[in-house]
Amino acid sequence: MVLVLALGDLHISHRAPDLPPKFKSMLVPGKIQHIICTGNLCIKEIHDYLRTICPDLHITRGEYDEETRYPETKTLTIGQFKIGICHGHQVIPSGDLDSLAMLQRQLDVDILVTGHTHQFTAYKHEAGVVINPGSATGAYSSITYDVNPSFVLMDIDALRVVVYVYELIDGEVKVDKIDFKKTTTT
Amino acid sequence: MIGDGGVDEEEKYLAAGIAGLQQNAFYMHRALDSNNLKDALKYSAQMLSELRTSRLSPHKYYELYMRAFDELRKLEMFFREETKRGCSTIELYELVQHAGNILPRLYLLCTVGSVYIRSKEAPAKDVLKDLVEMCRGIQHPLRGLFLRSYLSQVSRDKLPDIGSEYEGDADTVSDAVEFVLQNFTEMNKLWVRMQHQGPAREKEKREKERSELRDLVGKNLHVLGQIEGVDLDLYKDIVLPRILEQVVNCKDELAQYYLMDCIIQVFPDDYHLQTLETILGACPQLQPSVDIKTILSRLMERLSNYAASSAEVLPEFFQVEAFAKLNSAIGKVIEAQVDMPIDGVVTLYSSLLTFTLHVHHDRLDYVDQILGACVGKLSVVGKLEDSKATKQIVALLSAPLEKYNDIDTALKLTNYPRVLEFLDQGTNKVMANVIIQTIMKNKTCISSADKVEALFELIKGLIKDLDGNLDEVDDEDFNEEQNAVARLIQMLYNDDPKEMLKIICTVKKHIMVGGAKRLPFTVPPLIFCSLKLVRRLQSQEENAGEEEEDASVTPKKIFQILNQMIEALSVIPVPELALRLYLQCAEAANDCDLEPVAYEFFTQAYILYEEEISDSKAQVTAIHLIIGSLQRLHVFGVENRDTLTHKATGYSAKLLKKPEQCRAVYACSHLFWVDDQDSIKDGERVMFCLKRALRIANAVQQMATATRGSSGSVMLFIEILNKYLYFFEKGNPQVTVASIQGLIELITTEMQSDNTTSDPAADAFFASTMRYIQFQKDKGGAVGEKYEPIKT
Amino acid sequence: MNYIIGAFKPACNISIAFTDGKNRKQVPMKKENGQMVMVPLFQSQENISGKISIEPALGKKVEHNGIKIELLGQIEMYFDKGNFYDFTSLVRELDVPGDIYEKKTYPFEFSTVEMPYETYSGVNVRLRYVLKVTVSRGYAGSIVEYQDFMVRNYSPPPSINNSIKMEVGIEDCLHIEFEYNKSKYHLKDVIIGKIYFLLVRIKIKNMDLEIRRRESTGSGANTHVETETLAKFELMDGAPVRGESIPIRLFLSPYELTPTHRNINNKFSVKYYLNLVLVDEEDRRYFKQQEITIYRLAETT
Repeated sequence: MVLVLALGDLHISHRAPDLPPKFKSMLVPGKIQHIICTGNLCIKEIHDYLRTICPDLHITRGEYDEETRYPETKTLTIGQFKIGICHGHQVIPSGDLDSLAMLQRQLDVDILVTGHTHQFTAYKHEAGVVINPGSATGAYSSITYDVNPSFVLMDIDALRVVVYVYELIDGEVKVDKIDFKKTTTT
Repeated sequence: MIGDGGVDEEEKYLAAGIAGLQQNAFYMHRALDSNNLKDALKYSAQMLSELRTSRLSPHKYYELYMRAFDELRKLEMFFREETKRGCSTIELYELVQHAGNILPRLYLLCTVGSVYIRSKEAPAKDVLKDLVEMCRGIQHPLRGLFLRSYLSQVSRDKLPDIGSEYEGDADTVSDAVEFVLQNFTEMNKLWVRMQHQGPAREKEKREKERSELRDLVGKNLHVLGQIEGVDLDLYKDIVLPRILEQVVNCKDELAQYYLMDCIIQVFPDDYHLQTLETILGACPQLQPSVDIKTILSRLMERLSNYAASSAEVLPEFFQVEAFAKLNSAIGKVIEAQVDMPIDGVVTLYSSLLTFTLHVHHDRLDYVDQILGACVGKLSVVGKLEDSKATKQIVALLSAPLEKYNDIDTALKLTNYPRVLEFLDQGTNKVMANVIIQTIMKNKTCISSADKVEALFELIKGLIKDLDGNLDEVDDEDFNEEQNAVARLIQMLYNDDPKEMLKIICTVKKHIMVGGAKRLPFTVPPLIFCSLKLVRRLQSQEENAGEEEEDASVTPKKIFQILNQMIEALSVIPVPELALRLYLQCAEAANDCDLEPVAYEFFTQAYILYEEEISDSKAQVTAIHLIIGSLQRLHVFGVENRDTLTHKATGYSAKLLKKPEQCRAVYACSHLFWVDDQDSIKDGERVMFCLKRALRIANAVQQMATATRGSSGSVMLFIEILNKYLYFFEKGNPQVTVASIQGLIELITTEMQSDNTTSDPAADAFFASTMRYIQFQKDKGGAVGEKYEPIKT
Repeated sequence: MNYIIGAFKPACNISIAFTDGKNRKQVPMKKENGQMVMVPLFQSQENISGKISIEPALGKKVEHNGIKIELLGQIEMYFDKGNFYDFTSLVRELDVPGDIYEKKTYPFEFSTVEMPYETYSGVNVRLRYVLKVTVSRGYAGSIVEYQDFMVRNYSPPPSINNSIKMEVGIEDCLHIEFEYNKSKYHLKDVIIGKIYFLLVRIKIKNMDLEIRRRESTGSGANTHVETETLAKFELMDGAPVRGESIPIRLFLSPYELTPTHRNINNKFSVKYYLNLVLVDEEDRRYFKQQEITIYRLAETT
C-alpha cells in the first residue's frame, strides 16, 4: 500500500497567503510516500515545505513557476501503475476531457494527473484514470468560479487505487472516495 | 587581608587549617565519647580557632567552615545529651562563654543557644536576641558573615513564628522578624564593608569574591519570606521598610542590586503590589550605578506574570493604580539616571508595556502613552545604532502584537510608527516581518483603507528602499521578504466593494514606488485581489440587477487600475509575467462582457509577445496560454475575434522549432471549434489548421530524413491523428474516415520505414491510439458506428 | 625551726583540734613549700575554740615552764623573709610550769576574734592567720606547733555601685566610649558592658579586655609594685566602623581573683583593673585601664 499525495495550483503568494491550516495539520510528515505536484506553487518556500512532508517529490511546471528546472511533463511508476503528470496549461481546450485523454495516450499512463483549471475532477477513461486535484489553496481562477481548496490522496495497492478527495467547504474538510481497478491488459 | 601568596599558598593554608581542625576534632570526639565536658569545650574551641584565619579566600574559607559546621552538629548532639543527663542548659550557656577567643566562643554560644531554645528553658526570643547581639563582636567581614550565617542556619527552625513550637507571646512574629532583620542588617553591613578590605589593586577580584558570598546575605530574606506570620501588614509596616532602609543606606552597588532583586523574587506577588509605592520609592535612592532598569523590569515581569495568573487578581492592580505608579517611577528613574544608555530606557518601557498589556488589556491609551514616552526619549538620541537598543525596540514593538494577536490594535497606536522611525533599515525590516508574521499567524483581516495605510506605513522598510538602499541584502532574503509582503496583500479584505477598492488603491499607491525588484512580487497579488473584487461585483450585478450599481466601483474602473499596474510590470521588464496577467484580465473582462476592455488587454498581450518575448521556450508557453485564453473568450464579435485568432495562428506558425510550430498550429484548430458555442464551429478552418500542422510535420520528416537520425515527426503525426479523431468525434464534417485512414497508414509506413529509428514512446502512443479506436468501436451505439469504418 | 623539729625526735606530740572541726568548711591553702593543704575557714568575729592535746613520747616526761596558745595574724614580705609583722596577737596561758607524764588535753577559746584582713598569698606578700602552741622549756628549747587557718570576710552588695562610663580617644584617629555596668564586682560576678566606636580611622585588628591585678607592697621609696594579667578575653575580632557597638560579657568565675585589698596594715594593697586593649593591624596597642573593686559576696547556701 502506497500513499500518494497529489496537489497543485497553490499560487502562493500571488493568489493565496498559504495552504489552509486545516490541510497543513493533516499533511504530517512520515505518512506519505510520494508527492505529485502539478505546478504553480509558485515560490520556493512551498517547495521546501512539501519536501518536509515527503522528500519524494514530483513536480511539473506551471505557467507561474519561476523554477525552470521543473519539466513540462513527467511519468513515474508506482506499483502496478504508471502515472503521468502535467500542469495542463498546454492542453487546449483547458481541462477538456478528450484532450486530456489524448495526453494520457501520448504519455501512455494509467493515471494522468493535471491541474490548471482549479476544478477537482477524477474520472475513469478507457483503461485509465484522469485526476485533477484542484487548487490546494482554493486560488482564484479565470476558468473556474468559486474554487474550494482541495487535494487528492491516492492509496495505491496492487491493481487498485482508491482516490480520496479532500475539499474544504465553508471551513469544513469533506472527504470523497473514488475507487478504481486496473484491468490487467497491456 | 588575603595573602599575596597566590593559589598554591592558599591551598597550603587550607590544608593546614583542615589538618588543625581535624586534629582537634579528634580530641573533641574522644572527650565526647568519655562524657568529658571540660575537654570537649577545650578542644572544640581549639578546633574552631582554625576559623580565625585571614589567609583564605571566601571560597576556601567556606570549605573550612563546612567542616567545622559538621563537627558542630555533633557537638550540639552532645550538648543535648548532656542536658538530658542533668547538666543545666543555662550553666552550659555560661560555660562556653569562658572561652578567651571570641570566634570559637560565639560559635559555641550559638550551638548551645540552639540547644537552649530547644530545651524551652527560656523563651526563644530572648536567646535569639542575645545571640544576634553577641555576634557583633565579630567585625571581620568574612568571619562575621560565616558566623552569622551559622546563627541563621541553627536558628532557622527555632524562630518564634506563629504556629511554631517556639511561638511566644503576643508579639511573637515581631520577635522572629526582628531577629532575622537584625542578623540580615549586620550581615549586609559586613558584606558591604568587605570591599574596603585589602589593597585597591585587587578590588576587582575582591568584588568577584564578594559576589560569591551574596547568597549568605540573601538567605536572610528567604527566611523572612518563609515566616508564616509575616502577613501583608507586617510586611508593609516593618519588614519591607527595614530591608529597604538597609539597602538604601548601605550605598553599595553590588548589594543594592542583589538585594532589590532578592526582595522581588522572595516575597509574594500581592505583597509587591500592595507595597508598590514603597519599593518604587526606594529606586531613585539607589546608587546611580545600580542597574535599576533590570530591577524594575524584573518587578514588572513578576507583576505581569501575577496578572496573567488569574483574572481575579486584576482588580488589585486597579485598586493600587499600579500602572500610574510604575509609569511615574520609570520616569523618575530615567530622569535621575542621566547616563542610562538608551537600551536601558527602552528596556524599561518594554517591561512596562508588557505589564500594561497583561493588566490593562483595554487601555490602549496606556500603551500609546508608553510608546509616546519612548519616542520622547529616542528623539533625543536620534537613529539607533546600538544593537542592544534596537533589540529592545523590537521587543517593545512586538509585545502589543503578541498580546492582542491582532494588528488592528497596533494600528490604532499613533506612536507605534513613530517608534519604528528610530530603527535602522535592517531592524525596520525585521520589525516589518514581525508585523506581517503576526498578521499571518492570526489570520487577521485588515479591513479598511485607513488601516492599510497605517500598516504600510509600518512596514515601509519592506515596501520601498529607505536610506538610498545602503545595504544590499542577499537575493534569497529579499525574495522571502517580498513574498511575505505578497502574502500580506492577501489579508486585506472588506466585504464592501467601495472600501475594498479604496484598499486596493492604497496598496497600489505604496507598492508602485517599490522599484523594479519588488514589483514582480507585489503587483500580481494585488492584481488577483482586484480580479476577485471584479468577480464579486459581477455576481452582485447579477443578483441585484442594474439599479444599485455604484458608479464609483465598476469593473471598468478596476480594469483601468489593473492596466496601469501591469503596464508598470511590462516596463521593468517582466514581459512573461505581464503577458499572463493581461490574459487573466482579458478573461475577467470577458466574464464582465466588456469586449473593448478584453480586446485591449489581449492587444497588450500581443504587443508584449511580439516585442518583448524573444526566448523560444517562453514563446511556446506564451502561445499556448494565448490560445488557451482566446479559446475560452466568447465576448468578441466576429471581427475582433478574427483579428485575434488570425494573429494567434500567425504567431504559432512562426515559432522557432518546427515541432513546436506544428503543435501550436494544431492547437489553434480549437479556436475555430468550441463545443458549447454554436457560432464557433468552423469545420473548414479547423481542417485548415490541421492540414497546416501536417505540412509542418512533413517538413520535419523531410529534415529528419535529410539528417538521418532524429525522428520525432512520427510523434507529431500521431498527435495530429489524435486531433483528427477529436474533431471526427465532435462531428466536424471536414474530418473524414478516409483522411483518418490515410493518416494511420502514413504513420504505419513511417514507423516501419528503415529511415526511422524506432521510438518506443511513439510506438506506445500509436498503440494506445489504436486501442482507443478499438475501444470506441467496441462501445457500440452511435460512436461505435461512427468508428466502425476505420481500420486499425 | 621546722628543720630542727624534723631533725630530732620531738619530746612530745602536740595536736590542735577545732571545736567544730568536723563540720567547718575546709579550703585549700598553698603552703610555703608549694603543697596544698586543707585548712579550716573562718571569718572575722568568730569564736575560735578547740582543744590542745599534748602527748609525751612514750615513757618520757615533759618538763615545761608553762604552755600557751597564741592566735597570730601575720604579714610576711618576701623581700624581708622571716620577718613577720603581727597585726593581731592574742595569747591564752594553758598551764603553769610543771611536768606532763601522759597525754593531757587543754581546751582553749578566743571569742569574737577581730580578723579584719583576709588571708592572702600574693607575689611579694603573704597574709596569714595561725594558731601557735608553745611548750616552754628551759635549756632543751621550747616545743612549738602551728595550725594555719584561713580567713575570708564577706561583704554585702555595695549600696552604691555606679557604672563606669568613659569616652576616650586619640584625636582624629580613634574615639570610643565604653561602659561597664558596675564599678564593684563580686568574685563570681559578670562584667556587662558595651563599647561604642565613635570614630575609627585606624585599622583595628582586635580588641581584648584584660583583668589586671596590681599588688603593691612597702611604702614610700620601698614600694614594690607587681602587676599580673589574670584574664585576657577577646571582645572583638576585626575592624569596626564608626557607629558600631560591641557587647562585653565577661564572667569572672573562671579566674582566681581575690577581693580588692586597700592598704592592709600599711604594708600592702591589692587592686584590680579592667584594661581595654585595642590592637591595630600594625600591632600597635591602644589601651585604657579602669580600676574596679572586687569584693567577696556572702555565699547564699
